[in-house]
Parts: sequence; C-alpha cells; structure tokens
Amino acid sequence: MHKISTRKQIITQSLLTLIGLFVLLPIWGMIRLAFDGSLKGRPTEFRFFPKEWSLTAFLQVLDRPYQSVEFSVLLKNSLIVSFGAALLAIVLGISLAYAFARFRFPARKQGLFAILLTAFLPPVAFMTPLYILLSILQIRTTLFALVLVYASFALPFCIWNMRAAFQAIPKEIEEAAFLDGAGDFRTFLNITLPLALPSIAISGLIAFLMAYSEFAIGWLFVDKADNVTLAMSIYAIVQSQYSGGAQPWSYLGSLVIIISIPVIIVFLVFQYTLLEHMLFGSAE
Amino acid sequence: MKRFEVPIRILFIVLVAIIAWSLRARAVEKLNIDFDEDDYMRAGQEYTHLIRTSNWSGFLDTNYRPEHPPLAKIVIGLSLLSAPEKDLIRDAPTTSEPNKYLPRELVKPARTTNAILGWLTVILLAIINPLAGLALATHTFTIKYVSQIMLEALPALTSFITVLAYLQFKKKEKTNWLITSAIFLGLTAASKYLYCFVGIAILIDWFLEAKSKEKIKPFLRQALVWGVIAFAIFFIANPYLWTNPIGRLQESVFYHAQYSSSAEEVNRAGYPFWQPFNWLFFSPIAWHEDVFLFAPDIWITLLAVIGLTRLWKRERVYVLWIGVALLFLLFWKTKWPQYIIIFTVPLSLSAAEGIATLWNQLVEWWKNRQVQRTTISKNEARRAIPWLVPGLIAFAIFTIFPLIFQVVVSMTDFNSASIRDGFQGGIWRAFWEGITGQIPISEWDGSRANQVRFTGLTSYPFVFNEIANGNGSGNSILFFNIMWAVVSVILQGGLGLGVALLLWQRGVQLGKFWQALFILPWAIPEMIGALMWFNIFQREWGWLYLAAEKFGADSFFGVFTRNLENSPSLWLITFLLPALWYGFPFMMLAASTGLKIIPKEVYDAAAMDGANAMQTFRYVTLPLLLPLLLPAIIVRGIFAFNQFYLFQTFYFLDGTLATLSYNVFNPTGYFGGGQFATSAVINIITVLILIIFVSMFNRWSKAEEGVVNA
Repeated sequence: MHKISTRKQIITQSLLTLIGLFVLLPIWGMIRLAFDGSLKGRPTEFRFFPKEWSLTAFLQVLDRPYQSVEFSVLLKNSLIVSFGAALLAIVLGISLAYAFARFRFPARKQGLFAILLTAFLPPVAFMTPLYILLSILQIRTTLFALVLVYASFALPFCIWNMRAAFQAIPKEIEEAAFLDGAGDFRTFLNITLPLALPSIAISGLIAFLMAYSEFAIGWLFVDKADNVTLAMSIYAIVQSQYSGGAQPWSYLGSLVIIISIPVIIVFLVFQYTLLEHMLFGSAE
Repeated sequence: MKRFEVPIRILFIVLVAIIAWSLRARAVEKLNIDFDEDDYMRAGQEYTHLIRTSNWSGFLDTNYRPEHPPLAKIVIGLSLLSAPEKDLIRDAPTTSEPNKYLPRELVKPARTTNAILGWLTVILLAIINPLAGLALATHTFTIKYVSQIMLEALPALTSFITVLAYLQFKKKEKTNWLITSAIFLGLTAASKYLYCFVGIAILIDWFLEAKSKEKIKPFLRQALVWGVIAFAIFFIANPYLWTNPIGRLQESVFYHAQYSSSAEEVNRAGYPFWQPFNWLFFSPIAWHEDVFLFAPDIWITLLAVIGLTRLWKRERVYVLWIGVALLFLLFWKTKWPQYIIIFTVPLSLSAAEGIATLWNQLVEWWKNRQVQRTTISKNEARRAIPWLVPGLIAFAIFTIFPLIFQVVVSMTDFNSASIRDGFQGGIWRAFWEGITGQIPISEWDGSRANQVRFTGLTSYPFVFNEIANGNGSGNSILFFNIMWAVVSVILQGGLGLGVALLLWQRGVQLGKFWQALFILPWAIPEMIGALMWFNIFQREWGWLYLAAEKFGADSFFGVFTRNLENSPSLWLITFLLPALWYGFPFMMLAASTGLKIIPKEVYDAAAMDGANAMQTFRYVTLPLLLPLLLPAIIVRGIFAFNQFYLFQTFYFLDGTLATLSYNVFNPTGYFGGGQFATSAVINIITVLILIIFVSMFNRWSKAEEGVVNA
C-alpha cells in the first residue's frame, strides 16, 4: 500500500469536513443557546451565533439550576447515585463473574445466557417491577432507591464484563499460587483481583456513566426536588418549557455542556477500552 | 412408515380444504359490506343483464370501473345469473362510504363464487405443500378479500397457476406447459393488472436459469412467444378492448398512475412507504367482529421471513415473486390492504419452509444436546459453590426476582386505581388466589377496579394485538420497532465503515483530530444528543423551523420543512439523522479496530494480482472485516431495538416497545397513565423478542470469536 495522491487527499479531507459539520452542527446549536444572554425563554428567531455573548447562564446554572436547589446538591446527588450504583454492581457481581470465569459447574451455559440476556434488556424492562417492589418497601422516593435501581440495571452488564476480565488472566498464574499453598480465596485476592482491576474499573465506569446520564426512570421514582440528579434536572427544565416555563433556554444549553464535558473527556481517553467492553466480548 | 405417507398427506390436504372452506363460508356470511363491493356488484350486474338479454355486442362497450379489466367482473356477472334481477346499484364516487344496503340475494352468490375461487387456490397450494395450504387457508387478510365482491380471488388463482405451469415447463421442458403458463398470465392480466408481477418474477427466474445453462438465445425466443401468447389471451379475454384497443388500454393504465398520485382517499390515508409491511403484521380481525376466529397473519409473516432462504434453495421463483411484489408495493403510492393478496401464496409457502427450518434446528439442537454433555468434575463444582452462592443471591434479588415479579404483575390488572390495594399485598393475593383456583379468572377488559384482580394470561392477546397492529389502525409498533433497528444500524454501520476506511488510507492528514472529533456524539449521553437534535427539528422553535420563518417559505428551509410536514414517510429522517449521528462513531471504532487486524500481506498479494481499489475492497477488505463487525452490528441493533431516550425526548411516545412501556406505565403520563400491568406485559413481550436476538448474537459471536478476542 502506498500513500494516497493529492487529489485523493483533497477528496478525503472534504468528505471528512462534511461529516465533521454533521457532527458539530447539533452541538453548536446547544452551544449557541448556552452563551446567548439575550434569551428570555425558548429561542424565537433564527441565529447562527448568540445575539449577546454572555456567561450569565453558566454562572446561574452553577448556582441554582433547578427550582431552588443548589448545583452542589444536584452534583452531590448525581455522584452518590452513580458511584453507589457502580460500586454496588461491582461488589455484588464480582463473585459470580469469577465463578463463571474459572469453574465448570452444572447449568453454567444457561446461566451465562441468562446474564447476557438480562444485560441486553432495556432499563424500562426492570422499571415496572422495581417501582412496585420499592413502593411496597416504602423507600421508592429516596436516593438509596435510585442507587438500587441503577445498580440493578448495571449488574448483568458488569457481571458479564468482569467475567471477561477474569478470563483474560492466564490460568497458569493462578496455578503457580496454588502450588505455593494458597487457597482459592487468597489466590483471588492477591493475584487475580489486582490484575483484573483496571478492566473491572472500566466496567464500573460504564455503570457510573449510565447512572450519571439517566433521567426518565429517575423521575418515575423520585418526586422530591432534593433528591434530583443533574441529568434529571435537565429533563425538568425541558418539561417546564412545555408548561410555559420560566427559565431561559441558555440555562438548558449551559447545563447540558457542564454535564457532558466530564463524560466526553472519559470517552476520549478510554475510547478503545470502552468499545471493547460495550461489545460484550464474545460468548463462549 | 412409507406406506402411510401418501394417505396421511391426502388426509391432511382434505383437512386443509375443510378448514379453508368453513372459514371462507363464514366470512361470506358474516363480513359486513366493504368499500368497492357496490362498484363491482354493479359491474357484475351489467354483465348479467347482457347475458340475460343475449346482448353479446354489449360486451364491447361495457366495463364499469374501466380502470380494471373486465374478466373478474364478468365472473361476478355469471354468478348473479341464478339470482333474481334487481335494480342496478347506483353509481358512486370512489371516495364514498361503503354501501350497506346491497341486496342480500345478490351478495351471497357473488361472494360465494369468489370464495370458491379462493378455496381452489388453497387446495392447489395444499397439494404442493400442505402446510403452506394451511397457512393460506387461515390467513385472515386473504380470507377477507377473496370472500368479498372484490377482484382479487380470480387473479390470485390464475397467477398461481401461471407459476405452476411455468415450473412444470422448467422441469419437463414441454412447450404445452409454457403455453398454459402464458394463457393463465393473460387471464390474470384480464382480471387485475397488479397480479401480473408474477410474470416479472418468472422472467427473472427464467433468465437466471438460462444464464447458468448458457442458453440465453433460446430463452429470448421462448420468452417472446410466451409474452405474445399472454398478451393475445389478455386481448381475447378483454372484449372491452376490441373496438378501441389503444385508447382504452391507455385510459385504464393512466388511471392508476393518476389515482396513485392525486386521489383524495390515497392522500387522506397518509400511509408511509412501508405500509405494506404494516399490513403484513396486521389482521382485519380488528375491523370485523365475530368473523375470524383467530389471526395467524403476523405469525405467517414472521415464519415466512425465516423460511426465505430455504424456499430460495428449493424454488427460487417464489422468493422472486415475493420480492418483486413487495418492491413494487413499497414504491407505489396507493397502499390499499388488499394489494398484499398478490403475494400471499408464495408468502404461505415461505411460512411453511420457515416451520421446516425451525423444526430442523430443533432436531439438530436435540441431537447436539446429547453429544455435548461433558462430565463436570465434582471437585470443581464444589470449589465453585462459595463463589456462586453470594453472587447468585445478589443476581437473584436484583435481576431475576424483579423479572419473575413482572410476570406475576402481568397476570393481574394492577393499575393506578388499584394502587393502594396492590402495594398492600393485593398483587400477591390476587395472583395466589388465581393460580390456586380460589378465584375465577376475570377476563381482561382494560377497565379499572380499585381491587387487584387476577386476569391470568387474558391480557396478553389484547396487548399483543395493540402492539402488532395498533388495534385496527394499520400501524404496527412492532414492525416499526424492528424496521427502526434494522434501518438505523445499516446507516450507522455504513457511515461508520466509510469513515473508518477514509481514515485508514495511508497518509491522511489530521487523522487523529478527525477521529477525536467523530467520537464526540458517542461520548454525549443519548438524552442530551437527542435534545441537541430536538433543538433543530422541533416544530415551533427548532433551528430548521426558525430558519424557514426567517428565509421564507420558498427558501431551502421552507421547502424542506413543508415536505417534512406533508409526507407520511419523511418524518422518519428526523429520527434517523440523530440515530446515525449518535451511533456511527461506535461502528467507526469497531471497524477501525477490525481494519488494524487485517494483515498487510493480503493487500500486497491483491496488488500483485492487479486488483483495483474497488475489487480489493469487495473481495479482500469486506469479507475479512464483516465477521469482525458482526458482533458490533448486533449489539447496536439490540440497542436500537430498545431505543428509548431519543423517542422520549422527541415526544414520540409509542415509537418503540420500550417507549410505549414507559409511557403506559408513567402514572402522570399519556395513554391513560399508570397501567402497570399492561406495561409489564409489554416488557415480557420485549424479553421474549430479545431472547431471539441474543441467541443470534451468541451464535454469531461464537462462530467468529468476536472483535475483542481476535
């Protein structure tokens, strides 16, 4: 294979530019809203650039984006829910993942299929029963309930991915530990777990991001403004616009940007690793 | 065993014939008068009158509703000979409502004649393939339209005979069969033009056959004779053409083109281009109460999809028949439900092959099951226990138990009216008392009581009907959901692969920059991405609409938004564009990982053989890359099937099953809100569908090792 000609280079670059515009256009639409200080409600005229460049929306959003709840409270809620869900999914799933990665036992195949299937189910498929169960337990509207719900969404996915992580570690390393007289549990704790940790962390990260950006199901469970997450507050602003809402759309735009930036950084850094995990590896 | 095969087969055919006739006889008796029946009744009456008065020259100038050739109408006329003479049905425009006051004495013989023709089609099909005969016998759309005073029954039969005769010719190479085929094609054309697509399917099959045998010249000669005979028969069976052939032929053909593009009822119907598929998922059972006992139509369609490959191997022409007919119906703007009758015969055959395919797989699975049973060492299983137990408990509590509980809820009528009772143990009470037979099943009717009732499985057929055919609206959420998954993944895969190939060329400037830029949409949470696109497509303050306002109705934006609003299909792109935007980066990354794995030597070899860029891509890159991409395609397909946030943000509240389930559930939402049990039923249907998808993923990724392990 040889290098491409100048003509081809030009064609390639113009095609890429075109796709780049396709990628950027909707993002720019949001950015334009975020920085427009002239907006009183929803946009009323076509503009490609903001009418008055301003940062007030950002400052306002970083103070109290939704009703009278402070940004820091929303962020705290988001972090509690997302960390909690990710951690819970990892901790609860890790032993099952290891069992499926290392041992042969009856009905193992069927078990794997069940995990894979549940990992592919839409969150909505768990919403109905969880809503009713948590209502019966009378904890439905708490932050803790959200942690449980999101952990439940993420659990099958995390089990599947952690299993892949354990499988990627050569059995020989473990066998060497056995020869030194270590039992199953010690080998796992001292040898396998540390080696698999980076990969497990990525599984947790995906669970974290899922919980971090979920809003619709969250709104079904939580009804107090104090227990709202950042993503949920965005949806609330959108909803309030339909009932003749009071907040300018620049708030929405800036909140969207603030929420997205950390996620974008994570994706840019871990792109191929994330891809690998999201592809579920291959079934046995 | 062999000794009994023939008698059993005959018995089965007889059984199919009995079923087919009883269902059609019931339809003849019970179907209410539909659109167009008055027209064709009147057309028939005119012929009856001509025959009674022996006014044979009258045939030359009689053809009421001249857009359709007269043969099928003449048959209706013949059927009325035994009936008492009645006043001519009044002439009404095509837009008028069905005429409910047709004389019963005329309706019965006319419908019965059509039903007999439809019945003969079933018997003929059953002789070839009894299972297919059973499918056609029970297909409710076919029953409906061959048992009414429509023009479908006769051409459906003659078009089938056309194919059968052609197949005999293909097998035995006897000219007599070819002539028979041509005669029946001519008769088909003289009944209804639409059914002649079978001729195109035959020509394609014939050509492919001739090409493989390198007998193109004799094919051309024979096909020409075949066509000429067919046309001659068409002319002979069409006395209306005799006095003014060209003028009247033109008139009838142009009518359809014009009708399709400008008729009021066509525009009012506002069907999207994929409406034929909706009809295939649909059953008229929702239109006519107490006529059809059950509606296997959707299952016949799904089985037909499975059976296509097998049918192609056995008899290609039937698949071509389905393909040509569907392709035409997708592009033709008139999309009346009766049009699908033009290919329900091959559809039934494919469904039968689908059953055979499934049966074979079941047998294979059963055999393998016994082979693969390997011994598991007891020691290893014992060592697994301490790891399994805590994990299984967690998995059971968080995942399995909710799903089981969902099944329980789905067998009740739990909703927002019975919320207090349900939360205080009413769900379990109703379920337990129902399952142990202490209380009778209350038939699910959608009503809301303040006590939870046990409905057993009675809500499933209702909800499924709602999903599959929009309860009579002819709009199938299920089909849309599947089409959405397929189309959006094809687009994402196409663009993703394209971009990966662009970036993969050697020496592309700024490659890293472009890739980082293109990943952005993937990194943005789906809900936020959907909001960004909503900000463009929203009807009042979306960018596009604001631009249309600013630059005027004749600007690009004005024209674009106007088309968007007026077309029954174009709105789909307001969803496909965001889905493409959101999904292509994932496919791009998957493709570029795959491209990196392909060894460079392969390309050197291709270059040495003198392959050009196109050939290299077609014969080297694509075959090596596709298996690596397959897992990514299925994963994205499943995600597209489950797509929720995009549709929810755009307020398309019943776009996918997931969106529908959410909004049916949402206590403050649309669709009545708080229908918890209905939402549970939808979720369980989703789970059942996903079992199929995940099995596919499991099988394919196993075969190809997947991108990750490669």
